[in-house]
Amino acid sequence: MSHHNLPHHHPAPGHEPVDNKAIDASVRLPVIILFGNAIHWLVIACLLSLVVSIKLIAPGFLGGISFLNYGRLAPMARDLMLYGWASQAAIGAGVWLMARLCGRPLGGGDGQGMGGMLLRTLIISATVLWNLAVLLGTLAIFAGYSTGVEWLEYPNWASAMLLLSFLLIGIWAVLLFDRRSNPRAEVAQWYLVAAFCWFPWVYGTANLLLTWKPVQASAQGPIQSWYCGSLLALWLLPVALASAYALLPRLLGCHMNRRHLSTLGFWMLLLLGGWNGMDRLIGGPVPAWMTSAGVVAGVLFLIPIIMISINLLGMPRNEVIVSASLPGRFLLMGLYALVIVGVIGALASLPDVSGAVRFTAFTEAKTQLWILGAISLPLFGVLYESLPQLLGRDCWCPVLSGRHYILTLVGLGMLVVLMLLGGLFTGLALADPTVSFLNITSYSYPFHLMECVAQLLLLIAMLTLGANITFALAGDYLLNKHNGK
Amino acid sequence: MHRLPTLLSGIFLVFLTSWLGLVAYPALQLGRLTPVADADNGGSLPPTYGGQAIAGQRIYATEGCISCHSQQVRQTSITSSDVDRGWGARPSVARDYLRDSTAFLGSRRLGQDLTNVGVRRPDAKWHLIHLYHPSAVCEGSLMPCFSDLYLIRKIQGQRSNEALALTGDDAPQEGYEVVPTADAKNLVAYLLSLRHDYPLPEAPVKKIGAAK
Ligand code: HEC
Repeated sequence: MSHHNLPHHHPAPGHEPVDNKAIDASVRLPVIILFGNAIHWLVIACLLSLVVSIKLIAPGFLGGISFLNYGRLAPMARDLMLYGWASQAAIGAGVWLMARLCGRPLGGGDGQGMGGMLLRTLIISATVLWNLAVLLGTLAIFAGYSTGVEWLEYPNWASAMLLLSFLLIGIWAVLLFDRRSNPRAEVAQWYLVAAFCWFPWVYGTANLLLTWKPVQASAQGPIQSWYCGSLLALWLLPVALASAYALLPRLLGCHMNRRHLSTLGFWMLLLLGGWNGMDRLIGGPVPAWMTSAGVVAGVLFLIPIIMISINLLGMPRNEVIVSASLPGRFLLMGLYALVIVGVIGALASLPDVSGAVRFTAFTEAKTQLWILGAISLPLFGVLYESLPQLLGRDCWCPVLSGRHYILTLVGLGMLVVLMLLGGLFTGLALADPTVSFLNITSYSYPFHLMECVAQLLLLIAMLTLGANITFALAGDYLLNKHNGK
Repeated sequence: MHRLPTLLSGIFLVFLTSWLGLVAYPALQLGRLTPVADADNGGSLPPTYGGQAIAGQRIYATEGCISCHSQQVRQTSITSSDVDRGWGARPSVARDYLRDSTAFLGSRRLGQDLTNVGVRRPDAKWHLIHLYHPSAVCEGSLMPCFSDLYLIRKIQGQRSNEALALTGDDAPQEGYEVVPTADAKNLVAYLLSLRHDYPLPEAPVKKIGAAK
């Protein structure tokens, strides 16, 4: 495992950077708690996804029990993936990266004073609140209290808890930026500030208008699509990109390629990200200009992706260093996933393609590649990079780490390819009204069957990760005991 | 862009564009659509839901029917299969959702589009049996059983006239009957009220196709 430290910049007078060790110490507990909880939700989400996919080949599996119905398990799995895993891990990664990039411990001074203590307690309490909200929200869907709004199924009190908890944590991350030691901020820091500002805005507006005080349903479609697009492209993706910008050049020991493109890429991503979800409504009950905007945004979204790829994938890299750095490989794979997502998204927003595949597994393939690929892979990279530094020792079991990497890529690749192909087949069949609907169901059977295998691989991958982090943290505990305290 | 307030203002301005277009505009414009007068019977369109159908919408939401069913009919120069399949006589427009508490637009069609299921399948008895056990009326259905919305109880004196007419493996044991709970009846009332076969100014009805 590599131990490259994020180097410091030329400090501004009076802003001498603090030692990385002190910074890590100031965020250690909150970040470990965030990552640890995120991973256990990830494992549960994968387990539920497996059950959901089995139900598509054997509808009777665990059947007849209301709370284990497809219609409840599917949103539970999706929401756990979004809020239990991805968002929580993004908060953890964001806090650590922000503190490191700004060269400042959380809570001022050397991070060990009274202020630091209080702040850590506050953030840890907020983390507990977050996890409580995820747990209770999930149980509420389970028990039949879902709002029925896609991706926002948690009841009002649970979504309010999530938002409050985020605000309690996010504000400190943004404030760190103001006290940073490098006067010229890096683009990674911009991404983090943007992400931490967007989540409350996106999540707050969407909940306000769709679940807390719903607007007339005739207006809900565009808001809902905007939410789905923005949650991925403006909250989770910027954190993933910040990780890549902050860590990749250092891990791989090379300079960012064509640096000036990174700023342009940042603003383009911001501008287009919010429109990105509109491909969910092409041809739907919204004004025509909105669907046109969706088509255009879907295609133009490739531009920032290309700029980001030129920056980071275009770096002349040494393959020996790459293969020695697991975090580096995760980050690179995340970027490749983003490129594929961009291409699929552009294709799927072309009216002809969208007309056929919009309601099939094709759309689901894109969502899966977004969440598990473009977003989760970089987050895994941050996890593998940060934990040894936070704990101050090599904590990962190389065998388990390697297995996790391979199984994730194989499982995800298989899932996405199957869903794309299955979606294409069913989409073409759906577009032909002479094929009866029930026939279409039988076409998709082989795809659904293989999807179960892919979901099983992903579950095993995440269990491996779970075991890995458990050993990593337990090792710390045992070590402490051994040393007498 | 290296100072927090500058960066924040930049982020805010750029973000505002999609927010204005996709959140504020719909909330202020589409959210203020009003019903139109129904020339035929002096009522208004879209028709209002009865109390049972309103309650049924909640069940539709909590059971997650939206994971498998959409409620939007598309008809563009490129996509005509929704109409050709008999899922609706005209494309859905924003005004169609006026009476709903939540717009169940959906993103996946593992089952059929339900915008006009009340036109296609007007029989409450069919729905009650279908929800209890989809395969009983539709061989090899992927749809889960919602048998939890029913009571299996001992027949007290006379068989209830609400009891489902089940045969074969689905039939309860001798002396018992399966009756729908209020939730099941409300859900079916909601499904039957899903009829968007009336014309709207922005969406005239062309022709009604047969279900395929
Ligand atoms: C696992 C996905 C799934 C879920 C969840 C689901 N359905 Fe279905 N549904 C299907 C499939 C597949 C069909 C087509 C086969 C059939 O008729 O059973 C269908 C058919 C239907 C039909 C008949 C449509 C027609 O045109 O014949 C109705 C009505 C219906 N579903 C209502 C519901 C309701 C109400 C719920 C929620 C309580 C629900 N479905 C949940 C998959 C699902």
